[in-house]
Amino acid sequence: MRRTALRWIAAGNAILALAAALEAARRPRYGGELRVEIRAAIASLDPGAVSEDPVALGAQRQWMPLVFETLVQLDDHGRPQPWLATSWTHDTARKTWVFQVRKNVKLHDGSTWSPAGGSITIPDDRAIEQILRELAGARSAIVVKAEDGALLGTGPFRVARWDAGKSATLVAHDQYWGGRPFLDSISIQMGRSLADQASDFQIGKADAVEIAARDLRAPKLRGTTIANTLPMDIVALQFDNGRVPAPVRQALALSIDRASIHNVLLQKQGEISGALLPNWLTGYSFLFPAERNLVRAKQLVPAPFSLTFGYDRQDAAIRPIAERIAVNASEAGITLRQGTGAADVRLVRLPVTAGDPWLALQDITALLKVAPVLPAASPYENEKALMESSGVIPLFHLPRGWMLSSKVKNWPRFEDVWLDTGAEP
Amino acid sequence: MTFRTKLLFISSFMVAGAVALVTGAVSISTRRAFDAIDRERRQALLTQFRDELAARSSEVARRVELAASSRGAQQIAAGAAEYDHAQTEAASAGLDFLDVVEPDLTIISSAHWPARFGYKNDWQIAPDDWHSSDVFLARISTPDGNVMALTAIRPVAGGKALVAGGRRLSPELLKSLGVAPGMRALLWLPPGEVIGAEGPVTDPQKLASLIQDVRTTNREATGAVQWTSDRSSSEAFLALPITRAGTLAGVLLAGTSLSTQLGLERSILRTGLVVGASGIVIGVLLGWWTTERITRPVERLAAGARAVAGGDLSARVEVLSRDEIGDLANAFNRMTEQLLEQRDRAIQAERVAAWRELARRLAHELKNPLFPLQITIENLQRSRESAEFDEVFRESTTTLLAELGNLKTIIGRFSDFAKMPAPQFETVDINEIVRSVMKLNFQVERPNAKPVLELASDGTRIQADPDQLRRALGNLVLNALDAMPEGGTLLVRTAPHDSGVRLAVSDSGQGLTEEECQRLFTPYYTTKQHGTGLGLAIVQSVVSDHNGKISVSSGSGRGTTFTIDLPASQPDPLAPRGETA
Repeated sequence: MRRTALRWIAAGNAILALAAALEAARRPRYGGELRVEIRAAIASLDPGAVSEDPVALGAQRQWMPLVFETLVQLDDHGRPQPWLATSWTHDTARKTWVFQVRKNVKLHDGSTWSPAGGSITIPDDRAIEQILRELAGARSAIVVKAEDGALLGTGPFRVARWDAGKSATLVAHDQYWGGRPFLDSISIQMGRSLADQASDFQIGKADAVEIAARDLRAPKLRGTTIANTLPMDIVALQFDNGRVPAPVRQALALSIDRASIHNVLLQKQGEISGALLPNWLTGYSFLFPAERNLVRAKQLVPAPFSLTFGYDRQDAAIRPIAERIAVNASEAGITLRQGTGAADVRLVRLPVTAGDPWLALQDITALLKVAPVLPAASPYENEKALMESSGVIPLFHLPRGWMLSSKVKNWPRFEDVWLDTGAEP
Repeated sequence: MTFRTKLLFISSFMVAGAVALVTGAVSISTRRAFDAIDRERRQALLTQFRDELAARSSEVARRVELAASSRGAQQIAAGAAEYDHAQTEAASAGLDFLDVVEPDLTIISSAHWPARFGYKNDWQIAPDDWHSSDVFLARISTPDGNVMALTAIRPVAGGKALVAGGRRLSPELLKSLGVAPGMRALLWLPPGEVIGAEGPVTDPQKLASLIQDVRTTNREATGAVQWTSDRSSSEAFLALPITRAGTLAGVLLAGTSLSTQLGLERSILRTGLVVGASGIVIGVLLGWWTTERITRPVERLAAGARAVAGGDLSARVEVLSRDEIGDLANAFNRMTEQLLEQRDRAIQAERVAAWRELARRLAHELKNPLFPLQITIENLQRSRESAEFDEVFRESTTTLLAELGNLKTIIGRFSDFAKMPAPQFETVDINEIVRSVMKLNFQVERPNAKPVLELASDGTRIQADPDQLRRALGNLVLNALDAMPEGGTLLVRTAPHDSGVRLAVSDSGQGLTEEECQRLFTPYYTTKQHGTGLGLAIVQSVVSDHNGKISVSSGSGRGTTFTIDLPASQPDPLAPRGETA
């Protein structure tokens, strides 16, 4: 009887020990290097540098906050929240704003970031919402130039090695004011094609790789962890307004069967849209039509019309969409042919780099090299004006998908990401 | 054109014609031989093409069956594969084209044009072909245009879908035919592509009419195409329809370069030209030699005939052969001998006749004065005893002297005619001669005769003997005055004529009969009662010595006109005159 009781106690202890071990495995752990591969070739993380390559700009906006932080950040609802600034007040005339900065914020060289007087004064008589939104933008990130010329930030990671456009290593900032990140470091391999990334992921050379929207379904079925993050991509046609008459532009947009492309080529990933910014960000995208109307398209272009069509043939996600658009356009009597030199119309990706419409449009205008957004105007007005001036007709919003190995936890907040070394790769 | 030239031409033409005939015959037979060889080669090519097409069709059918039975095709049919999965299946099966379509032909997945999913396939084939087990030629739409392919269709997933796959009819198919040198195979495929072993044919429009013939008649057709301005680029084609189920699916064009044939024909022509030219040269030389031998006796005969015509009856022709020409020469010689004998006899007879006429005239002329002489002398004899003798004697002697004077005049005229000297030529103005003669003859008053002169102002200087010319003109003037005993008009005209001068003397007398005109220049013929008949004979003699010509025109009541044509210059007396055989 006693032996039996002992046996039961031992079994209970074993179960408890196993449960404890399992619980321990679920708790965040410090250490490890997260190996990431991306398609973009980022030239610099400097917040002031705006890449002309949409993919690189999107990636830069994704990785830059790990190194450089802003005074405020926007939450998931787009509301400004204190970050490096803990509070803000204005003078009696409401023409100057004073931002109280967080104490004990260490720069990456170990020195304390301490603006004079412990605050930052910004003379600006605009509404505080506009000011805060702008301060939350990547371009307003706090950057301190060291004596050796290096750019110092306050983010959870510091740049340990930077080989522009090729690879980089970000190391955990031990004195980060929000607490040391779990990861010791993040190694980033840049300029890797999606196929190479998938291959490296399969053989365990990478922990997080990008995946095309249309390919999201298959890994999910295999049980691979899939995650979507900002920035997301706008797939759009960009016309050379000077060379393509407005009726032809409209006819081409009306001839595109977005539903078929979304269902088959994109495997129902992303969203059909006639607006630049996604509906979850603005709430008005339904105001931009996205339905196919072949009859109207044929009426707009009664005679056959030919346009040169450009797109990135190396982009596995863009190429089939472009080919399908060419098939659709031919039904409306518009021949799209690949040509050399500047194309009449291009199929492009534009990144949605921020969770705020103004900030997102700001980057898009910079990429398209058109007039900047008007802070006083609504996002809708800004977006409509931008589409007309730039000759852009949005087609889809595509998520930027990631394939994660099973040991990557708490994606996508990198300061919270940790690696479960006990998990199966 | 001379007989010799004609013979030369005939012989040259005969040689050239013979060469041309031979060249043409050789060219035609060469062309026929080439055509026969071409026909055989083209038929062999057609057989080869059909065999190759059959072999490839079998291969396509096998590959499409493989694709239809694959797991990938099942997945596509079930909607469990990517939209472009057909590409994988096409690559596995080794097919250029692969569509997995729904029974209503809506594309589920397309290997060659992935973006066309959801569209209906518009292959240009009859609907019943979709369920046919045969391999057929179909037009496939691709992003780069339409191409023709050997195609087969097989059901997949129990007929839920169909797999249509094919292989492109590529230039490689034509290359594999292994055509003979100088030949090539082209393939026309609807709607208008023409491919060869090296790829699409440039300038296929040149084959359009030939292909149209085949499309219209659905039978083989032949034709030639000249690809460039150079004739050696010409190519002869045999166009053969490729049909399937009675429908034209394409046209096989078996082409043979004509460069070899044209080169050979050119060579034959060149040789013909060289031989022809040589033949003409040789023909000309031979003809010249031959005609020389043939025509030389003829020319001698002609020269002899000309000499005879010129009055040389002693002309003879050398007899060089015993043929027909030799006989002709002998006959000619005999003829001239006979003519000479006849002339001698005629001259002899003429001499006798002339002597007789002279004797008659002389007797007549002498008899007239002799009778008064006889009477006078008889009167003188009878009156010898009479008292009136002195008076009779004086009258008789006067009469005798007068009649003796007549006799002397008659004898003098005969003497003058006999003594006609050779002319002494010098340059004279015929107008001056006319004026001097008229002046002389009108010194005596002739109240009823009216002289009229119509003299040319220029071109009247000729070479002549002025004395003889004055004498001849004087005779004509005297004759004219004698012809107008009752008076009238004497018209003398001079005018340039040909290369000399024309002198005309007209009277307004009674005129002459035609017979008188014909006999007028005969010596001793006269129409006058007391004429000797020597005046006009002397005129004719003078004109003849001046190499001139005299003619007379007259009519009853119209007067008489004598016309003399004299040359401006006289031939060199030292120069040879006339031809001899």
